[in-house]
Amino acid sequence: MTADVGTGLIALGAGLAVGLAGLGTGMAEKDVGAAAVGAITENPKMFGKAMVFMVLPETIVIFGLVIAIMAIFVM
Amino acid sequence: MLLPESMSRIVIVGTKSRLDDAIEALYSEKSIHVIDHTTGDDKLSIGAPRPNTSKASERLLKVRGMEKELGVVKHTKTPRVSVEDTRSQINAGNVEDVESQVLKAVDERNDLNQKITELNSRKNTLELLQKLPITMDLYSGYKSLAVLVGTVSTDPTTALQAVDGCECFVSMEKKTGVAAVFVRMSARATALTALTGCGFTEVHVPEETKKVLPAEAIAEIDEEIGHYQQQLDAANLSLEALRSKYAAFLKGTDEELSIEVEKGSVPLRIAVSEYSYIIDAWVPTDKVDRTKADLEQKLGNDVYVEFEETRSRKMMDEEAAEPRFRTPPSKQNNGRITKEFEYATSLVSLPKYQEIDPTILIMIFLPLFFGYMVGDCGYAIPFIIIGAYGLKIAHNKDWRSIATVLFFGGIWAFIFGFFFYGEALGMHFIGMEDGVFSLSHVAKGGTSVTWDWILGVTFPSWFSGLLPVVDGGAGIGKLEDISFLLKLAVYIGIVHLMIGHCCGLVNHIIQRGKKDAFFAKGGAIITFIGMVMLCWALTKLLGVTKIGSDLTMPVLYLSIIVLFVGVIINSKTEGFMAIMDLPGIIGNILSYTRLAAIAMSKAGMALAFNYIIFGMIIPRVMVGGIYVADWSNIAMLALAIVMFAFLHLVVWTLAILSGGLHALRLQYVELMTKFYEGNGTEFAPLKENRIKTFFSEKAKVNTKEV
Repeated sequence: MTADVGTGLIALGAGLAVGLAGLGTGMAEKDVGAAAVGAITENPKMFGKAMVFMVLPETIVIFGLVIAIMAIFVM
Repeated sequence: MLLPESMSRIVIVGTKSRLDDAIEALYSEKSIHVIDHTTGDDKLSIGAPRPNTSKASERLLKVRGMEKELGVVKHTKTPRVSVEDTRSQINAGNVEDVESQVLKAVDERNDLNQKITELNSRKNTLELLQKLPITMDLYSGYKSLAVLVGTVSTDPTTALQAVDGCECFVSMEKKTGVAAVFVRMSARATALTALTGCGFTEVHVPEETKKVLPAEAIAEIDEEIGHYQQQLDAANLSLEALRSKYAAFLKGTDEELSIEVEKGSVPLRIAVSEYSYIIDAWVPTDKVDRTKADLEQKLGNDVYVEFEETRSRKMMDEEAAEPRFRTPPSKQNNGRITKEFEYATSLVSLPKYQEIDPTILIMIFLPLFFGYMVGDCGYAIPFIIIGAYGLKIAHNKDWRSIATVLFFGGIWAFIFGFFFYGEALGMHFIGMEDGVFSLSHVAKGGTSVTWDWILGVTFPSWFSGLLPVVDGGAGIGKLEDISFLLKLAVYIGIVHLMIGHCCGLVNHIIQRGKKDAFFAKGGAIITFIGMVMLCWALTKLLGVTKIGSDLTMPVLYLSIIVLFVGVIINSKTEGFMAIMDLPGIIGNILSYTRLAAIAMSKAGMALAFNYIIFGMIIPRVMVGGIYVADWSNIAMLALAIVMFAFLHLVVWTLAILSGGLHALRLQYVELMTKFYEGNGTEFAPLKENRIKTFFSEKAKVNTKEV
């Protein structure tokens, strides 16, 4: 398979977008997750609320995904 | 079916003298949720517990104590016992008899344990003294001499030279040692100060009059410990015997007494006056007439049951009601299969009386998403088998819910795997294009490992006709057709979210009426539609979807208008936040791309593993210019089979974790946040929970006569 440098850079950019955004999400979810587990241990009824807070930072990785998709399909 | 069961409020009034009979009658109905009475200024007070309750709770405490001592736990398997047997045994004072036996055995065991511990600590001291050349009798019995014995960290001999009339025995080993110092009573304090500088910790020496060396004393103690140990083993055996003898009795009495105590404390939840009792209760609407008739039949003229109201789903009614009648309990109204998914809903919260129970949506979409992500016949079959087996044997709610997801998810995974992706164990059914059955085929890459190539057959054309085709090849390739799968996932997401928004609208219509609902939820729906249209038009314009369309520009303009209208309506209730919510819509929709991404990750792993097995491990020889498998090399073939099983087990296990969790997450976060509030009160009718006890036929007749 041969590909020119431009395609390679696009692929690299897309990968970086998702990867770095994922890293950011991970760092944010780390704190939320720890607190959420603590809250659920004290009161299992908190599960629903904790779950929602837990996934809030996922928006960040979704933005990364959007950029990656745009990089691959639009450029 | 979507909403929790309709509830009606009744009031039961009767003569206090027949309260006991009334409580039995209420329990036999199994559909009366008592509303706790809160003492007010209406000249009513809460009742007093039944007279035998305190005795029963005392006995219950004893039984629980015995269960703890004997190690009878919740899951201990014991035969069921009959209720009337248990009752007669309790009345005959058997609980107290058994308790005296158990306590005697437990005391004996504890005494022995205590003795052995004491002897062991003495032995430890003696082991220290063993290092000194002094017999045991020399340590005590002096009038003018003080004896200081203990451990030291440095040799105290030099430090003690300054102390007058002092004799010191020391045995040092590396950093610790033991010292025995005999000193005149008057110089004791000086010696002690000197010793403290050497890290001295005093040890209590047991008194001994016989002239024995520590080693001999240790042998004596060992003998004594052995003797007690034997007795302890015997005591443990007798406790074990008591356990097997009385486990069933204890579990039975525990249950019976718990029920008795619970029934006995019912008067504490209701209102009584001098001669009568008043019970407020919620009853499922369709059971009101039956309940009324039953109670009147059982209690005759001594009871009066009045129907108060059937609570509507309007929030207005709830807000207008007296505080203790405000919240009716929620009784989920689901069929047999949907019931299995109630646990998933309960993890978040119980539905409110006035809102749609999301369980049925979870039942539909959770296995569907799981199937979409796994999508493989080979992995689906074990899922179905394990799920079915789990549903058959499991009683625990956690395990049942996992088994349910595996079973139904497995079925969907099979359907997707067979008719959509056309693959099993990460390999497509059909893929051989050039008709060459050789291992060199694999060199093209892992995706060319297919079932028709492995089996060396060509599937009939009607079979390949069953499978959908996107960009060539039979079946959807999780890796080859990823952009198609991503798009499909987004469309699934749009439908799923739309259902969520519609449920929100319906909830609001039920609770507040159409006009309120339009302003509260209509805006969200219009914005959502506008956003979907805008994204569709933008993808066309930006060329993400290659084919342009004449509709692109009109849709773009329309979407902006729709979005604008939606935001205006939303801003009435949410203000400025209405604009902030817009990117969230895209986030929500794109969140569904995980469906494709996880399917792809599974396929990617399976592909790599299959390539390792078929492309690298299976031995090959060159025959006539093409590679074929070398069947003579049995060791490598066996290795290939073991690796194949193990590696696919890895993918399969990960499928449960990622597939199951993400499918569930999409329900909780994307779907349920659109409409679900939860925080319902559980419908908890008065009823006896009997697991370990049962009514024999004779007793059944008796209870009917009550």
